Parts: sequence; C-alpha cells; structure tokens
Amino acid sequence: MEFLEAVGQRRSVRWFKTWEQVPSEKIQRILEVVRLTTCPGNLQPWRVVVVERDKIDPEVRDQLLACDNWQGAHTQAPVWIYFYADPDGARPETFATRTFELVDVGALPAAFGWNKKSIEGAIFQNETMPAGMPAINELLHGLPYEMSANVAYAETVGACAVATLAAVNEGLGACLHMIAAPSKQEEVKRLLGMPDSFVPVWQLLIGYPAEDPDAGGVRPRLPFEQIFSYEKWGRPFSRDERVVEELEAEGLKQPTGEPKPNRFDELKYLARMFGYPV
Amino acid sequence: MSATEDRQRKGDTDFRAYQSIQLWMDVVNKMYHLSEEEWRGRLHVLQQFCELEDKDPDEIIAEARSDRAEKIDYMRRLKRFAKTLTANPTVAHDYENIIRSFFINNGARVVTKPYSDVYNRTQ
Repeated sequence: MEFLEAVGQRRSVRWFKTWEQVPSEKIQRILEVVRLTTCPGNLQPWRVVVVERDKIDPEVRDQLLACDNWQGAHTQAPVWIYFYADPDGARPETFATRTFELVDVGALPAAFGWNKKSIEGAIFQNETMPAGMPAINELLHGLPYEMSANVAYAETVGACAVATLAAVNEGLGACLHMIAAPSKQEEVKRLLGMPDSFVPVWQLLIGYPAEDPDAGGVRPRLPFEQIFSYEKWGRPFSRDERVVEELEAEGLKQPTGEPKPNRFDELKYLARMFGYPV
Repeated sequence: MSATEDRQRKGDTDFRAYQSIQLWMDVVNKMYHLSEEEWRGRLHVLQQFCELEDKDPDEIIAEARSDRAEKIDYMRRLKRFAKTLTANPTVAHDYENIIRSFFINNGARVVTKPYSDVYNRTQ
C-alpha cells in the first residue's frame, strides 16, 4: 500500500472479527516499523507489550478487559499493543548517550558544531551552545524528571501514530484506545509487568475489521485554513485545490461525507452478532 | 393497589406512556428502526422485569440513575431474571440486553459484554 493510501484509508475501527487471528508476522512487521520511527535525539523512549487475546491466560485477559470497562473494540480485537513511555529514556544522560552515537555515525554534523565535548558541556555543565547549535543546555541541563516523562510521552504518541498507519498498511483495522480507566492504570501495569516509572500512553487494537471502514463516513476534520497559517498565526496558508485533487488521485481521500445509507443497519447487525444491546 | 396490579390494569398501551419507555423507543428507533413486533416482544420482557421488581419503569430508571449501588443490584437481579426465562445462555444474554438497552438509553450506564462464546467462534 502506498503511504497516501494508508493515510486516506485509515479509520478508527471499533468492530473486529473476533474469530480471525492476526498472523504473528504482521504483528512483527508493525513493531519493526515502530522501531524505526522518527524521534528527537534518537531517544526511542517507547516501551511496548504485545498481547494476543486468545493466547494470554484467560484470567489475565479478563482482568485487562475489566480494567478497561470491557469496552467493545478492546473485547473484540485479537491483538492489543500496549504503549508506555519510559521517562528514563528521555533523561539528559540518555540524550547524551544517544547523541554521541549520532555524532559517531556522522548524523549530527561536526560542521554545525556537534561533538561529544560540546554535548557534555551543555548537558552536564550548562555551557552555552555556540551559534549554529540548538540550545540544549537550556533544554536539558537540570531537566526535572517530570519533564522527561512529558518528553517520553510525546515521543511515544508519535510512535503510536506510526504504528497505526503500519497496521493499515498490513490490511488490518486499527484503533488507538486508552489502556484502562485512569483508576486502573496501576493494575494494568502490574498485570503486564511494567515498571512503576513507565507512563501509560495508548494501546493499539488491531485485527480484521468486522465493519465497513467507510460506512461511518468521513470523520469531520477542521478546515485547512483553521489549522495552517503562513508566517504568522491567523494568516491562512494558501490552499491550492489542484494539489488536493492530485492527492485524492494518489489515494489521500475519504470519498463520502455522510455515513452510508445502511450504516445503522450494519451497526444493529454487528451489535446483535456479538451480543451487545441495541 | 400495588404497582403490579396497577400495571396490569393499565395494560400495554399505558405501559408505553411512561416517560422512560418513550425515551427508550425514541432513541433506539431514531437509529435502528425496530419493527413493531420486536418492540412488543421487548416491552413484554421489560414488563415482566418491572413486575418482578414491583416498580414502574420510571421508578427503576430514577433509582438506577441516582444510586450506583442500586443500579448494580438491578443488573445482578437482571441476570437471575433472564435465567428464569430460558436455560439457553445466549438467549438469556439477549433478554438481559433488552433491559440493558432500556437502562443505557435512559442515561443509566451499565457494563455491556459480548456473548461469552465470542472468542470461540469460527465465523
């Protein structure tokens, strides 16, 4: 699947074929994509546990579902990928280690002033970075642990978005979903063996869709001009309709604005098939 | 006169006049357009549940919305009630869902689960 088609075809799928398993190769392909996701400082602070609903101890499965209020999509999806953020993966010393690696391979150019001495000086001694370099001393020197948690969280959200598109690329339905009710997050960590310090982010539910992904129509999107400005906030970026048409021709499209006429019949059928109230 | 006797007197037409019944039917029909035959079956089940509880539908919803513990107790009794109607677990689940739908569409949120055999299906 082409990139634009994956973006255009993605919908949050909430009804999965409970009986159709996801081959482990497809799960691994998604994880391999996540591993290569872009990340500032190459921190890679995401930590992930994969659960296959029909392979895990049924008692643990039911406990995980109970922590999430037995939500329908969670109950049906055959694979649950739990994403956590590791604050220790975004500490100043981690940043130093990762950027040293980037210097060693020539990714961070010495021509801009990147070298181990300048990185160490900025992060550990609060030395001002020279012109042409990011002010990482201000960003990282004495960085509070809570800020590391925020950074790790933000980067893991980005990985979740990439994972979602990777699942669509595999022909799967996917839905980013809260891991559990806030009051049950610690319980889920315990069940998954996650360290206390990890921050829950999202779980990605994947499986084969039982619903027509298009049937719910287009999810309303904010107008282009409301989101994108040029040079100054409030001055809309000029939108060229020819570009929109080109992108649609290449697959970046969601063809209808309204739910399909039979959408509610489909929902009624699905609810009855799985045993949910109508 | 007990609530049960009162309901018997009023009959099906009056049963539909309860505010909670009207709201339930309006909300569900707006999305799913259930047939009159299906509604008759649903109302019959709800009526039996109300008789068992000796309360009218509006009273049940008012209680369930104001007292979480009471709502949970209703769900426990609902399970027992459904088992008195059938020995088939799938059919019993369907009966429970009728009452759950009544609760949910009247703003009394309850936990919903799929059929217990949902993971073992082959198609």
